[in-house]
Amino acid sequence: MPDPRHERFAQVLADYSTSVGEGDLVLIESTPLAAPLVRALYRRVLEAGGHPEVRLGFDGAAESLLGKGNDEQLAWVSPRLAGDSQHADVRIAIEAETNTRALTGIDPARQAVFARSRSHLRDRTMERAAAGELRRVVTAFPTDASAQDAEMSLPQYEDFVYRAGFLDEDDPISMWVALGERLARLAEWLGTKRELRVVTEGTDLTVGVGGRTWIPCDGKENFPDGEVFTGPVETSVEGRVRFSFPAPHAGRLVRDIELRFEGGEVVEARAAEGEAFLREMLAMDDGARRLGEFAFGMNDAVQEFTGHTLFDEKLGGTVHMALGKAYPESGGKNESALHWDLVCDLRGESEVYADGEVVYRNGEFLPDLF
Amino acid sequence: MTDPRIARLADLIVDYSLALQPGEIFRIDALDVAAPLTLAFYRSAIRAGVHPYTSLGLEGTIELLLEHGSSEQLEYIAPQQWEEIEEIDAIATIWSESNTRALTRVDSGKHAAYLASQRRLHNRRWERIAAGEMRWCGTLFPTSAHAQDAGMSLSSYEDFVFSACHVDTEKASDHWRLVASSLQARAEALGSVKELRILGPDTDLRVVVDGRSWIAADGRYNMPDGEVFTSPVENATEGEIRYTFPAIYHGHEVEDIRLRFEEGRVVHAEAARGDEYLSTLLQMDEGARILGEVAFGLNYEIDRFTRNILFDEKIGGTMHLALGSAFAQAGGSNTSGLHWDMICDLREDGEVYADGELIWQAGQFLHEPLSESDPMEAAERA
Repeated sequence: MPDPRHERFAQVLADYSTSVGEGDLVLIESTPLAAPLVRALYRRVLEAGGHPEVRLGFDGAAESLLGKGNDEQLAWVSPRLAGDSQHADVRIAIEAETNTRALTGIDPARQAVFARSRSHLRDRTMERAAAGELRRVVTAFPTDASAQDAEMSLPQYEDFVYRAGFLDEDDPISMWVALGERLARLAEWLGTKRELRVVTEGTDLTVGVGGRTWIPCDGKENFPDGEVFTGPVETSVEGRVRFSFPAPHAGRLVRDIELRFEGGEVVEARAAEGEAFLREMLAMDDGARRLGEFAFGMNDAVQEFTGHTLFDEKLGGTVHMALGKAYPESGGKNESALHWDLVCDLRGESEVYADGEVVYRNGEFLPDLF
Repeated sequence: MTDPRIARLADLIVDYSLALQPGEIFRIDALDVAAPLTLAFYRSAIRAGVHPYTSLGLEGTIELLLEHGSSEQLEYIAPQQWEEIEEIDAIATIWSESNTRALTRVDSGKHAAYLASQRRLHNRRWERIAAGEMRWCGTLFPTSAHAQDAGMSLSSYEDFVFSACHVDTEKASDHWRLVASSLQARAEALGSVKELRILGPDTDLRVVVDGRSWIAADGRYNMPDGEVFTSPVENATEGEIRYTFPAIYHGHEVEDIRLRFEEGRVVHAEAARGDEYLSTLLQMDEGARILGEVAFGLNYEIDRFTRNILFDEKIGGTMHLALGSAFAQAGGSNTSGLHWDMICDLREDGEVYADGELIWQAGQFLHEPLSESDPMEAAERA
């Protein structure tokens, strides 16, 4: 018997996250590992009157291109990819990997070339999303590889993933609506603040957010979800930050990153493991040394670090900040081919100050603020 | 270790069949069950400086579309599909499935509507191929489903498929170059023939091929390959033929078909099983009763019937004659929604006469073709 959570998952993605309707061209992007969810979603999209199109990647292709391709091949964009970013009404990306470290042996400089050659497509996608021409959601299907990163068995990890999406509940959609309302109030309140200061072990960082828009994330772009984010004032970031969670990016893992900012720019960078890769990413372009995002993780059903950014950045009691590209809807202006989310755990002894006042302590906002 | 024959098959198609050049755009079409060959294609293309990308479908989605889709959804073609077909230089299609009968019970009207709409895209593809703007090659990755159809284990079926493509040896493209020149010479020699008479068990058929071109199928459009074919003169086929192998059309099998032709048209048809389906197809349109193709199967590595037309029509020692649409490039003019290849086993006691002269016996041509392009060799042989 199929896992009933797959059908609920498909229903939430099509009905709630992306509101698939009559005539929508809906791309379902995944790998063969997510076949049960892809089929459930394909059917749900048909029932909603949409036109589902499946886009499957598979193991080994990226490694072959990045490992053996010449510069021209690396930078080439297929007509399929170009057409997809132009024509899709809805894109549902389902991460499902067989090996999350498959690209560890690839030269990071080549990964940077690859990322830069596609940044115009990402920009186009963001533009279309901002203009309301495209709804897109990124989600993850539980696989052994992700379970392994999370140090769990596959059934345990499945429970974790579905709990994080409220998919073990009878009516996940109404729960997402309720969380969305709370996050909207938080975003509105944060919108009145000019400066945040985050203090915890190894971290004392000041981030200017005056005039920027905070966006509540309620499962419409990421699923599961649960965060509020903005784009910091580009030149405002000052101080030190230590990211206690390992940071995965582009098929690699960097551990124990420490950054020092001056005038908004990273001026010192260290990591216990993967430092060369960190430096390569920071050197990708001018914008890669600045923050494009600052956010609070607000999903309390995610309480464990799993090495997967989609979940880690939502972890209730954390903040995360991304090096690189800002989301224009937040008012952020930073441009880069990079967007790398780094998560900082605040559940231990920690404070966040808003315009000089303590508003958040040990992983929680103080009561009655919003 | 992965089977080295998979990489060799990909290399053969990239280097020989499609002759991909650096900078060309190459799409690989397959279902997820063929991922190992898809990846081999991708790697081979990267090595050759080509720009590959994959269009990997998920098994089971067509069934969902046919079961739950409205007619608008069935007929929909995404705009980027039309854009892609204008830009691509070459496509490889891997026909592998994990269940070859998954569509047997779908609503045939809906299936026909779906195929008709896909045909618009295919037609544009074939226009570009005919104009020399694009190349295409179809092949197969051995799966359990295809082995089951062949009545073989997967590992013996793998041996069968890879040896038919000659990728069990390292110099596969050398082999296919030799095959190509021999088939080319055979096609040239057949070009001067006016009439073929095919004799076999319950078979005595005259097929007029005067003025038509014979085409060597030498591994560029199909892998494996190995046949020479033409389209017969439409109003001239006379006599009787019995097809000993089952004829398969869209997953339906019709057994032991016997046809009688007069002035090019089927005037009597019967089958031991599937008689009704046979007469339905014959009534599809005017052209469905007329031969669109006559061909010699010349790949002697393919020595058995496996219920897959990619292989069956090339079985060394057989002929196939297709009812329905003809090949314009061969000089044929018959048009039909049907093109149904039926295979006639001539390996036991078949004979073929060309303008009265015996040229083929027990599944073999009696003489090597005399190549006009090489007069010295022709003189020596004479």
